[in-house]
Amino acid sequence: MNRTVLIIGIIIVAVIVFVLFAGLGKDPQHIDSPLIGKPAPPFTLKAVNTGQTIDLQSLRGKPVIVNFWATWCVPCYEEHPTLVANARQLPDVQFVGVVFNDTEDKINQFLAARGSAYPTLLDANGKTAIAYGVGGVPETYFINPSGIIVAKFEGPMDSDILRANLAKALR
Amino acid sequence: MTATFGRFLILASVLVSTTGAFIAYAAGAKRSPEGLKWSQRFAYAFAGLMVLATGVMEYALITHDFSVQYVAHVGSTQVPLWVTIVSLWSSLEGSILFWGFILGIYIAATTWVNRNQHQDYMPFAIGTWLSCGAFFSFLIAGPANPFLSVVPAPLDGPGPNPLLQNHLLMIIHPPMLYLGYVGMTIPFGFAAAALLRGRLGQSFLRPLRASLLLPWVFLTIAIMLGGWWAYEVLGWGGYWAWDPVENASLLPWLTATAALHSAIVMERRGVLKGWTVTLIQASFLLTILGTFMTRSGVFNSVHSFTQSAIGPTILIFLAAVLLFSVLLLAFRIDSLEAEGRIESAVSREGMFLVNNLFFVVFTFTVLVGTVFPLVVEAVKGKQMSVGRPYFDAMVVPVGTALLFLLGVGPALPWGKTNRKEMLRALLPPLVTGAIALVIGYAFGVRNAWTLLTLLFGGYAAHVTFAQMWLPLRQRLKKGDAFAPALIDAQLRRGRRRFGGYVVHAGAVIVFVAIAVSSTMRTQQEVTLTRGQSTTFAGYTVTFTGTEERAEPHRQSTIAHFNISKPGGPSGGGTSGGSSGGGGTLITTMEPRMNQYAAMREPIGTPAVYSTIGRDYYLSIMNLQGEQAGILIINMPMVGWIWGAVLLMGVGGLIALIPARKRTYVVVPESAPTIDDEAIA
Repeated sequence: MNRTVLIIGIIIVAVIVFVLFAGLGKDPQHIDSPLIGKPAPPFTLKAVNTGQTIDLQSLRGKPVIVNFWATWCVPCYEEHPTLVANARQLPDVQFVGVVFNDTEDKINQFLAARGSAYPTLLDANGKTAIAYGVGGVPETYFINPSGIIVAKFEGPMDSDILRANLAKALR
Repeated sequence: MTATFGRFLILASVLVSTTGAFIAYAAGAKRSPEGLKWSQRFAYAFAGLMVLATGVMEYALITHDFSVQYVAHVGSTQVPLWVTIVSLWSSLEGSILFWGFILGIYIAATTWVNRNQHQDYMPFAIGTWLSCGAFFSFLIAGPANPFLSVVPAPLDGPGPNPLLQNHLLMIIHPPMLYLGYVGMTIPFGFAAAALLRGRLGQSFLRPLRASLLLPWVFLTIAIMLGGWWAYEVLGWGGYWAWDPVENASLLPWLTATAALHSAIVMERRGVLKGWTVTLIQASFLLTILGTFMTRSGVFNSVHSFTQSAIGPTILIFLAAVLLFSVLLLAFRIDSLEAEGRIESAVSREGMFLVNNLFFVVFTFTVLVGTVFPLVVEAVKGKQMSVGRPYFDAMVVPVGTALLFLLGVGPALPWGKTNRKEMLRALLPPLVTGAIALVIGYAFGVRNAWTLLTLLFGGYAAHVTFAQMWLPLRQRLKKGDAFAPALIDAQLRRGRRRFGGYVVHAGAVIVFVAIAVSSTMRTQQEVTLTRGQSTTFAGYTVTFTGTEERAEPHRQSTIAHFNISKPGGPSGGGTSGGSSGGGGTLITTMEPRMNQYAAMREPIGTPAVYSTIGRDYYLSIMNLQGEQAGILIINMPMVGWIWGAVLLMGVGGLIALIPARKRTYVVVPESAPTIDDEAIA
């Protein structure tokens, strides 16, 4: 047995594994939203499913959850039931879906097949998504009753994540 | 249904590869021919299952079966058929399945080629390959399962990553890369077999070297295609950004190149056995590290797939293979004792050693730069990145040194030489080096590193050319006719050697082209209103307008530019009818901005006008109404890189073609100065 090879080899293995292991679970592309703690960018958009126009400013006074999504996004399919169920359970929280890069037909088909419990707005030119700095869908912003963004979540949420972030808006 | 069948195939392949690996190792330990037969059957069965599973996935993709999760993730009824087909490797799960597919083919083919040979080593090799196969099957069956069902099935999917739909090079770059990466499993298995057997005989060197050379060729081409793709698609005017994943592809290439060289010394002098085996193991380990980099979400890169549970799984595999390799080396490296020794430092074999040293330094430099941000984050908790200045500062000197060796090494004879012989070998190429230097200076090269590259490049070109045709010249000197001498000396008997020097010729051009294109490039950012023109680097660029084009999978805005030579007959009627411009119209260029359905940000496609001497590169920065903000880059020699790397690949293939059985080629023994070795 060659001791030198063994010792040097084990040291190399240990260092490499430690460094790579420490890096696991960190998202190199995650950057905190600069909007947190700032007033939510206003928008007035038409709801696809109900036809009414919704102005974010008019929703002051209760917490608002703005969920950006699209029918071409698979994680959004996974997240949808969570959102609908929570919206039904939490009547004091205003849920708003904002869909961009999509067509009304596809959205209506989606909602007809999967149910809806809150207004779904069409962000026709993507301006609202740009204002919020949406980096991908689904992405959800939590706004407190005074209109300040308190949290942002990238990717599909389950109920625990949703409620944990919502708690920040209720504080 | 399709999903269930796919899952069944993958589970079967887990079972087959695991069982096969056990049987193979047992057969190796007991030296059982019957056991070897069985392990071969299991190797074929594993390959069959992988091919079938991949076929099932392609079928699901082509038929838009959105009940299969992977198809729901990357499929779309809106994209062209070729995009649908290549979607197999456009995302995480599919790419791992594709990996398994290639691994299966490699294992089966190598097993078949060696079915009646190297019976001592083959069981251990098959055992090692199938162990890797078992890991990848497990990965496909569990953490990266593409065959999960989606209920209810979505109506349509988002299509694959738009960047991948943006250029046809995307059809060939990933498969080439996988052929290179996955192929490193084969020499790794051979190296492990040699260590497990505690012997590395001359007869086993051929399959070992060939199994290393084939993935090396693919990896070489893949790295070039990646650079070319970045250049043609990403629009920042470069081909190499020291992105972690680019580095990940370069790292195993560097160690494999080193191993190909040390294998020659091993063959000629019977030394460096343990070293060569270590380099081969390192090459495989670096491919696994590269896979981890791309798929763990730990590194920030254009190549990153989304984060997933497969990161930890690959890390465990990497750790296990590292440990396996270290233990194997520690326990067995001394059994691969040297049969000869190196007599003189200033000799060809001495230069091989220095070459290996520099390749290893190169590898460490790139590896450190790549993982350093992780180290800092692990130790200090701060985010940082290592950029181009570090890599350029570190790599340029090492690369220049390698180019120097590329000239001096092959010029020196093997073994001990006296001073006079040495000078006679080393001095004449200096003339060519000096000529290259003067030509460069005359063309305006002032950068010291580039001038040095030209000097060494000219030197190496001289040596390479002389060595490449040496067998032919010796035959002609002996009075042989040209055609038979050419065929026999270069392509039949000296094929490995010839191929090796073709690789060297390509490498010399690559060195020079990289140095010239990166230090001699000039660029300008300018905003043009429709009809306006600007003159830069010898051409007048006139913006003639934009056009919208709708394709099923994307909306494109195409900007039209006329490129003309200034100073010609003004208003020559061909400059697009606009006021600016004038001169003789040379070409039109159409850079574009593409908007994909599934992506909010548009992706530009630059336009490149290539001539032998230089590339003229136009990229849109922004388009607003009648105004176009463009980036113009003038890059000399950049096109040479693609061609020269291709030449390296061709050289590798020439060296790879197995030599004819020598028994029926009756040729008088050639002069003693001819080296029968090849570079690879």
